[in-house]
Amino acid sequence: MALLHFCRRIVCLFGGLCAGILLPLANLQAASCCGGGSSSSLIMPKFSRAMVSLSADREDYNGFWDSQGDYRPDPEDSDLNQYRLNLGYAHRLGARWQGSVILPYVWNNNEYTGLTSNTQGLGDTTLNLWYETFDNVTCVWKVRQWADLKPAVYLGGSLTVPTGTSRFDDVANSFDITGRGFYRLDANLLVDKTIYPWNATLLLSYGKYLERDVNRDYGSYVEPTRRRLGDRRLATLSAGYTYFLESMDTLTFTLAFSHLQEDDGRIDGRPDPSTRMEKNTLAGTVAWSTMDRDWVFKGTLSHAVPRNDWGENFPVTNVLSLEVNHVLR
Amino acid sequence: MSFARRLLMVAALTFVLAGCDDMMDDLAPSGEDRRPAVVLGSVGPQVGQIAPDFTLDDTLYTPHTLSTELTSARAVVLYFTMWCPICDTHANHMRQSIVPDFPDVRFFLVDYVSGSVPLSRSNQVASGYTDFTVLVPTSDSFTRLYQATMGTAVVIDANGQIVRMNEDFLDGNKLRATLEALP
Repeated sequence: MALLHFCRRIVCLFGGLCAGILLPLANLQAASCCGGGSSSSLIMPKFSRAMVSLSADREDYNGFWDSQGDYRPDPEDSDLNQYRLNLGYAHRLGARWQGSVILPYVWNNNEYTGLTSNTQGLGDTTLNLWYETFDNVTCVWKVRQWADLKPAVYLGGSLTVPTGTSRFDDVANSFDITGRGFYRLDANLLVDKTIYPWNATLLLSYGKYLERDVNRDYGSYVEPTRRRLGDRRLATLSAGYTYFLESMDTLTFTLAFSHLQEDDGRIDGRPDPSTRMEKNTLAGTVAWSTMDRDWVFKGTLSHAVPRNDWGENFPVTNVLSLEVNHVLR
Repeated sequence: MSFARRLLMVAALTFVLAGCDDMMDDLAPSGEDRRPAVVLGSVGPQVGQIAPDFTLDDTLYTPHTLSTELTSARAVVLYFTMWCPICDTHANHMRQSIVPDFPDVRFFLVDYVSGSVPLSRSNQVASGYTDFTVLVPTSDSFTRLYQATMGTAVVIDANGQIVRMNEDFLDGNKLRATLEALP
């Protein structure tokens, strides 16, 4: 019993945001037609020095929602897939500050009726800065006073750098691209509360794309214009349950719902509705972590429902992700 | 090694890799007009050139010849579709907001990916575009002829078959302005 109590204290001490997460900040991957490999935001636990993360994604396409929100299957003989390898590194910059960088590498493997595309390259890189509004870990085993209900609140900013190959580079079609071609700044808010064995997380993100010059589109030089994509909003709500193994390793099961949308883009200041989009996603995650939380292994299945009004002007995809995180104390 | 130094190394590596793959266009975009100069009146797909004539079957096996179509229309618009979300947004916008205002212009969707009439017809029906005439090139030589790709809109006027526009549909404003400026 004493050992169990000691282990629980260890878990809580090393917890914080209790195992470090690779947030699905950008489930807007989409090689086919609408974007490319993007990455996520990496957050490490309190009192850790650094964290390294490696994840592999397989995203397969299953039709799309049209501009009215109606689901449409892909044409016959289509098999669209994107594979991504994401390398992340987070580093503690101060007692309450941490920064991270995530580099994705993308493989496109698409058969689309008569068209075949097999391309690869860097995706868009993400740089993140997070501020923790708390000094002590906030996960608790029992609520004994109001203060025990205090959540862990993180405030963050992200910069997406267009290191991928976009439609504005020398590409033949949308299947060749691995990035969106725009710089983007995001303001992020993450609220996390753990009352063992339960936990809940809310992530809110607002992103603004920076306007850029365009003189080439899908490989052909065009009349120069100034363009930008529409403002971006993401909300993710998740709830999890942690099961403690005899060894005090843990298995955590998490369910999440995400809503992502982008407004009309702009072309020389005029609205461009063709880039407007919306996507709702359900995700389930199983994470196994060692007692000291130094190693975390995760598997996530993210599912977009192929039904009317679950999205707009965007591909319907399923994403399988396998992830390994290593925390350096 | 300090964090700042590591970050710089990562950034440098990123930029080197990006440069290798000709991705600097996104990191440092250019607004310079690099469209190729054309000889007015020559045959080709660029604005100011004479459109290459062609004959293509539609999805009901009816042949359409550009020069013949132009004898009874103020212009021909070719929209290159691959039945994707963006193509659908463009084509739907064209159907609702542009086609009704230009009854004397012939609008064609060009299905440049299906490769066969039966498959193209199937995609046309599944995508809800039976009200459009869909042309079906059976090889990619036609797409190369017009230097077109997904979302490209080409406007060919009746006055000597001059190409008035050949670029992405985007928000449709340029297509509308081009059609309004027709003689």
